[in-house]
Amino acid sequence: MKIPIAFFLSLIVFSTANLFAQNEFAKEFIFATKLYNEENYYDAVTECKRLVFFDSDSQYVFKAYILMGKSYKMGGKFSDAILNFTNAELNAKTSGEVFESKIEIIRANILRRTTDRALQLLDDLDKNGNFSSRTDEINYWRGWTYIFAERWKEAASSFSKIDSCEQLQQLCMQVEKDKYSVTFANLISHFIPGAGQIYTGNYVSGFLSLGWNILAGYVTINSFAADRIFDGLVELNFFWLRFYNGNIQNAQKFALYENQKISNKALNYLQFQYNGTKP
Amino acid sequence: MKLFFLFIFFTVVVSAQTDWQKWGKANYSYALKINNEQRDFSFDSKNTARFVLKSALNSYWFFISDVDGDNCSFSPTCSNFFLQAVRKTNIVQGTLMFFDRFTRDMDIYNKFDHYPEVEDGHFYDPIYLYTLNQKEIKYLPPSVVVKTE
Amino acid sequence: MKKIFLFFIFFYASGFSQAIHQNEVDLFSPANIKKFADYLYCSGDYLRAALEYEKYFSADPNDTVKFKIATAYSKIGKYSKASALFDSFHENSKFFPFARMEFFETLFEEKNYPELRDSISNAGLSNGFIFKEQAKKIYYFSYLYSNESLPSKSDFLSNFSGPDLNQIKYFYDWKNNPPYKSPLLAALFSAVIPGSGKLYAGEIADGVTALLATASLGYLSYTDFKAGHYFRGWLFGGLAAGFYAGNIYGSAAAAQIYNVKIQFDFENSLKVFINSKNCFVPEINFCK
Repeated sequence: MKIPIAFFLSLIVFSTANLFAQNEFAKEFIFATKLYNEENYYDAVTECKRLVFFDSDSQYVFKAYILMGKSYKMGGKFSDAILNFTNAELNAKTSGEVFESKIEIIRANILRRTTDRALQLLDDLDKNGNFSSRTDEINYWRGWTYIFAERWKEAASSFSKIDSCEQLQQLCMQVEKDKYSVTFANLISHFIPGAGQIYTGNYVSGFLSLGWNILAGYVTINSFAADRIFDGLVELNFFWLRFYNGNIQNAQKFALYENQKISNKALNYLQFQYNGTKP
Repeated sequence: MKLFFLFIFFTVVVSAQTDWQKWGKANYSYALKINNEQRDFSFDSKNTARFVLKSALNSYWFFISDVDGDNCSFSPTCSNFFLQAVRKTNIVQGTLMFFDRFTRDMDIYNKFDHYPEVEDGHFYDPIYLYTLNQKEIKYLPPSVVVKTE
Repeated sequence: MKKIFLFFIFFYASGFSQAIHQNEVDLFSPANIKKFADYLYCSGDYLRAALEYEKYFSADPNDTVKFKIATAYSKIGKYSKASALFDSFHENSKFFPFARMEFFETLFEEKNYPELRDSISNAGLSNGFIFKEQAKKIYYFSYLYSNESLPSKSDFLSNFSGPDLNQIKYFYDWKNNPPYKSPLLAALFSAVIPGSGKLYAGEIADGVTALLATASLGYLSYTDFKAGHYFRGWLFGGLAAGFYAGNIYGSAAAAQIYNVKIQFDFENSLKVFINSKNCFVPEINFCK
């Protein structure tokens, strides 16, 4: 009877000692999280580094690296964020933690606009049998990756595989529908100067371009017809060709510009008004 | 195992350099960066000469320059260079600077060995190099890529 | 009962001794702050290392930590903070010679050459200073960067020897008599032959373009006047005059740009040379 009591008492003592040690790391992690929540990201990283340095049992190392990665992400330092998420992955102890760190890496790649890398990582997750129950999440981030890669049709297709993402699917489909065809604008400008610019809604520029091309053409042909070959060549090179090439350049430029405006409208909505999870 | 530690060491050292200055929350945007220079069609009412000059430039930009494409390999463009030169110096010196700039623009020889570049691919050629004030000249080697606001 | 009590005391005491070892887990104890700061310093995270060392310094001010703080600030380019710290080392400190040399280096990086030379004269050239030879070299090298008048050639070169002497002679001669182009001469050349001023300033393609532009517009003006086309004659003539005058102006500007360019190239090659000779100080490696 005496020995079990003594044994039980000593167990309490040792547990208290150990608990005290673990409480210090927990306190430190709570402190780092508090700094993160106060948007004091630089100092949050400092405290996480302290925790990683001293936590030889690696109880909090994974969480510390994740918090560091998030801090760097909030500071716009995506490459550093990815490094820390990778460290988190290396220190992950469960498949849940591995998945969490991989998703964080993908999100940072999306924000960094290294979308090819993000897509590659998503494909790796798909092929990994351990994460077959998390297909919805993978498709969700695949959709976001396609959005940032300006591949709105594929984004819509990814979101269509998830039941709760109809809003995102509709948004992507609408953007794809609203966009102008740069190739078409370019092509019609070759045949009718100014047509490409009118197609993209730049009417003033389009009609000016048409007018200049008509005038230049008339003057050039007139010169050739009057046997003033040198004059004709000068007018062709420095007048007509200049405005003709300008018309094609503008058609392409305006189409790209209008498409960027359409994309940015959607991207601004997603950043500031959309309530779901964002990169 | 060695490679693992080498990777960790390398990543720690590389990321350390970012933190040589305290940083805070970044206001990054999802939006794409649009490289479309918007013209300033305002009128300069400082004096009559400037008003006439700016009006002439506005007309040139509206009727000709915005329609005939991107023909100037420099940044700022020749017309902008002329405007900035006249504002900085006077009409005579500004005109001389413009004619010199136009000569350099006509030069079809390799510009890559002479001028630094701007992000959009144009050659960086600002007016402070040509005001005949040597103290204002900040030399940039041709290999440099200049970021404009 | 007594045995249980003694047994209990024994285990509780060993438990407490474990608890005492909580100092190792007290992350903000001075010892742990220092350990963490050393780790940050050795991994190149100098700003964090400096901030941690400063926390430790208030508990245990010592020269090693002060030197590390100063070195950390120097490495991240905060030279004013670094130089204030390096300057505060006492002559009796074992770090004094190293701190002096680092102080000189921060003044050099801040381009504060007059103060650099004063400091070297006061402390660096005294007989007891172990880095006297390096200090002397920095003293004379600073003349190559600043705009003050150079000391005499013999006085300057007497401080250098060995295989680098020819290179240093070249730097001295360049600084004493830089191969600048005269903007006035460039303008005069272009006034006589359009484009020749640009050739003189090293802008060959621009010079040729200017000559062709002026010549062809002038020719067009001449032929138009001859053919009685007065409007075109005046137009091309005016343009030719504009390009001619612009080229004279541009030649002077080109000569100025040339001068700034060769000065830039000289300072760069000097910097590369000085860095390769490691004149400043053998760096103390705290991370062995």
